[in-house]
Amino acid sequence: MKKDFIKILSVLTVLILSINSNILIAQTYSISGTITDLKLKPIQGVNVVILNTNIGAASDHNGNYRISDLKTGIYTIEFSAIGYQKFIKENVTIQNQSIILNIELKESVILSEEVLVTAGKYEQKKSELPVSAEVISGKEFIERNFSNLADAVRFVPGVTMTEDQISIRGSSGYSRGTGSRALLAIDGLPFYTGDTGEIVWEMIPVLEIKRVEIIKGAASSLYGSSAIGGVVNCLTRDISEKPLTILNGFYGFFDKPYYSEWNWSGKRRPFNGLTLSHSNTIGNLGFNVSFTRLEESSYRKDDDFKKYIGFIKTVYNFSPAASVTFLANTFNKRAGQFLYWKDSRNALVVPEKNMNDRIETNRYLFGLMFKNLINDKYLLNIKTSYYRNYFKDNEITPNESASNLYRGEVQLNTNITSSIVLTGGVEGNYSKVNSSLFGNPEAVGFGIYTVADISFSFPLITSIGIRYDYSRLDSLKASGSVSPKLGFNYKIFNNLVLRSSLGIGFRAPALSEAFTSISTSGITIKPNPNIKSEHNMTIESGLNYSPFNQLSLDIAAFYNEYYDMIEPGIDPTDGKVVFTNLVRARIQGFEASASVSILPDQLTLIFNYTYLWARDLETGLALRYRPRHIFYSTIDFRKWNFEAEINFRYSSKVEEIDEELIDLGIIVDGELRVPVYTTDLKFGYNFLSTGFPLNIYLNVKNIFNYNYVELIGNLRPIRNFSLGFNFAF
Amino acid sequence: MLVLLTAACSNYGIEPKPVLKSPPGFSGTIRFISEWPDSVKRSFLVVFKNPLKSDSDFTILNLKFLSKEIPLGIQTHKFSSLDSAYIPATPGLFSAGSYFYVAVVQQSTENLSLARKDWFVSGVYYTDNDTTTPGVLIIPDSTFVKNININVDFKNPPPQPPGGN
Repeated sequence: MKKDFIKILSVLTVLILSINSNILIAQTYSISGTITDLKLKPIQGVNVVILNTNIGAASDHNGNYRISDLKTGIYTIEFSAIGYQKFIKENVTIQNQSIILNIELKESVILSEEVLVTAGKYEQKKSELPVSAEVISGKEFIERNFSNLADAVRFVPGVTMTEDQISIRGSSGYSRGTGSRALLAIDGLPFYTGDTGEIVWEMIPVLEIKRVEIIKGAASSLYGSSAIGGVVNCLTRDISEKPLTILNGFYGFFDKPYYSEWNWSGKRRPFNGLTLSHSNTIGNLGFNVSFTRLEESSYRKDDDFKKYIGFIKTVYNFSPAASVTFLANTFNKRAGQFLYWKDSRNALVVPEKNMNDRIETNRYLFGLMFKNLINDKYLLNIKTSYYRNYFKDNEITPNESASNLYRGEVQLNTNITSSIVLTGGVEGNYSKVNSSLFGNPEAVGFGIYTVADISFSFPLITSIGIRYDYSRLDSLKASGSVSPKLGFNYKIFNNLVLRSSLGIGFRAPALSEAFTSISTSGITIKPNPNIKSEHNMTIESGLNYSPFNQLSLDIAAFYNEYYDMIEPGIDPTDGKVVFTNLVRARIQGFEASASVSILPDQLTLIFNYTYLWARDLETGLALRYRPRHIFYSTIDFRKWNFEAEINFRYSSKVEEIDEELIDLGIIVDGELRVPVYTTDLKFGYNFLSTGFPLNIYLNVKNIFNYNYVELIGNLRPIRNFSLGFNFAF
Repeated sequence: MLVLLTAACSNYGIEPKPVLKSPPGFSGTIRFISEWPDSVKRSFLVVFKNPLKSDSDFTILNLKFLSKEIPLGIQTHKFSSLDSAYIPATPGLFSAGSYFYVAVVQQSTENLSLARKDWFVSGVYYTDNDTTTPGVLIIPDSTFVKNININVDFKNPPPQPPGGN
């Protein structure tokens, strides 16, 4: 199989080279210019798109943009950026010479013109999507001293985290580090381990994140297995055209626990992080390279860690229309293992039998992506990746596991007519595991998909697509799955948009869900050779309304029906954890959010509420680790060079947990759980106006020192303070 | 939102459980009044929460105490819920309440098995000398119950619960 994969890679390489050599050598011209605001201040990151084509560019940090390789003709160009009113320039004529087109954009508080690439695997406006989507800006990570992508995802409406496992609209509970119902991708490259199929959030260096796009609901019709509950696509920073070095760091400490009996160390426990990043372009080659070191003593005993993250992104432009990107992300972690507390009186200490348990992890992701604008109608993307995951613990007989995952995808975007965008592709993957926990299984998968987005004049956009996936997990019976989708986006008025979608999703079990055999910390997990793939049907309807510039409202109702949902449970005959298929589960609810700009560009309020009712239809019980009510609120104030933010998060007490682990006496006092109330404060100051390219941020998280768990026996971080800086030169 | 913020400020969430003056639990003595058969490979003390009326009651979730192995061949064995056990995995407080089946069981399999077919009951806890029905172990709040004594006569075993061979 490995040889086959190498063959496929070879064919793709030849294909890349042959396509590149066929680039048309006709006379071409460019449109370039500078984009500023009304005060002539350059605007970075403006999307410049020639309508009805795949051709576009983005402005750099000086507001400059350039679209090259254009033939003689008449074009309509759209300029859009978050925080600015969209501007469309019609009848831009190119006749035997390049032209310069400088643009001024007016500021706007309406944020609905964000452009996303995840929902349809090409650039689409958020306001024109048939599904709900959220965007986290990369600066959020810096401003809030986040060192882990998962920390930011917790604050996305409709998303909950149970420790490191994401649940989009209740799609997941807690499956002990195996499988995920959301697909994480980095620059479109799926990023899940070959053995457990889990998301390793901590591996992505947050300084390199430009933005994170989150699509809610089944996205299997484009992304296949794992995207059954949604997609989280992490887009990395653009490469600077001039040398740019960024030094980013933070230092903080955990306060003393509220209860004196939890104060196991008698000290305030420190944490820190430092990232050095450099970006530059030399000729046709551009690169971002960074190194990150993170260290934490932790508020919990035997929960300390040291992490090292390396990141490289290089882009070589063969021509304005063709480029190849190489991406490498490495990760090393040495950490203690805090699985659950000793008891409620020793909530920050592990049981004696688990003391000094440690783990070392090494992971590597390598990706090669080729992009070629064949002409103004056809855009080709070829993506290949290799992800190696290795870990080892310090048991007397160490548990050790290595997995290798190979992926390849060829995707073509076509503007058939000015109103139809057709996206299609094929992808394949192969993983091989050598593990003391999972055995030595291997898995193969293959998918083929096509989606058509059709724009009508009324103005209605419909999206219709289908995907077929084939999956085989070692000795298990192979399975195939068809995942269709249908979506609508109807703009009744400019400020009132309706959207609706229906999608069928599927997820093949991870190798670990089928083959895990391990006993650790009193919990024994056994394999299930009869496990089947799970399927779901997602229906969503939403409405976005901005009655006036200062107010934006969004509501959405969703209904998910799951068949053969894979959940961990206890086999009553032997007390072992086993992954089994629930017969049928239903998750339904609604979301409502509002963004109010009380003082334009100065004071903003954001509210989000999600009602979630997730239940096992066979037992009538709530699905585990899903809260019924989730509420987020943010008050953000910015003036002069100062900013302050209060962030409040609430989720109701989860109704069902792993009661068996309590009954069996494995997790003492594990029944203790409460609603979640966390309140964070952030202060920032920008020294740029003084001529010094420095930002500093002070964060106080969990200011009321509220004690809560997401998973039984695991207290979430107590109050902590951190001071961060971001210095660019 | 004010209600939620007030709630956030006014309590501190999870708090340590108080240490009880007298931890609930039980202890007693098992007396083996006949010779151990050679076929016995291991022996345990077990406590079930609910009565064993049918096969479906014999589940790991109904089993609240499964001791470590009782040494083979001995004549008396003292036990306590504070002892290390398979279930609960962590020794400590034993929940107050009523437990409807307390027994000594044997296995002749090579490995520890939780399958009903591999268990043979050789002694049952009775109350008030009533050997017609299994006794109920009652543990009141903050009470450590002593003298949960069981006699085992391999030659005269008690009635077996449903689901055996």
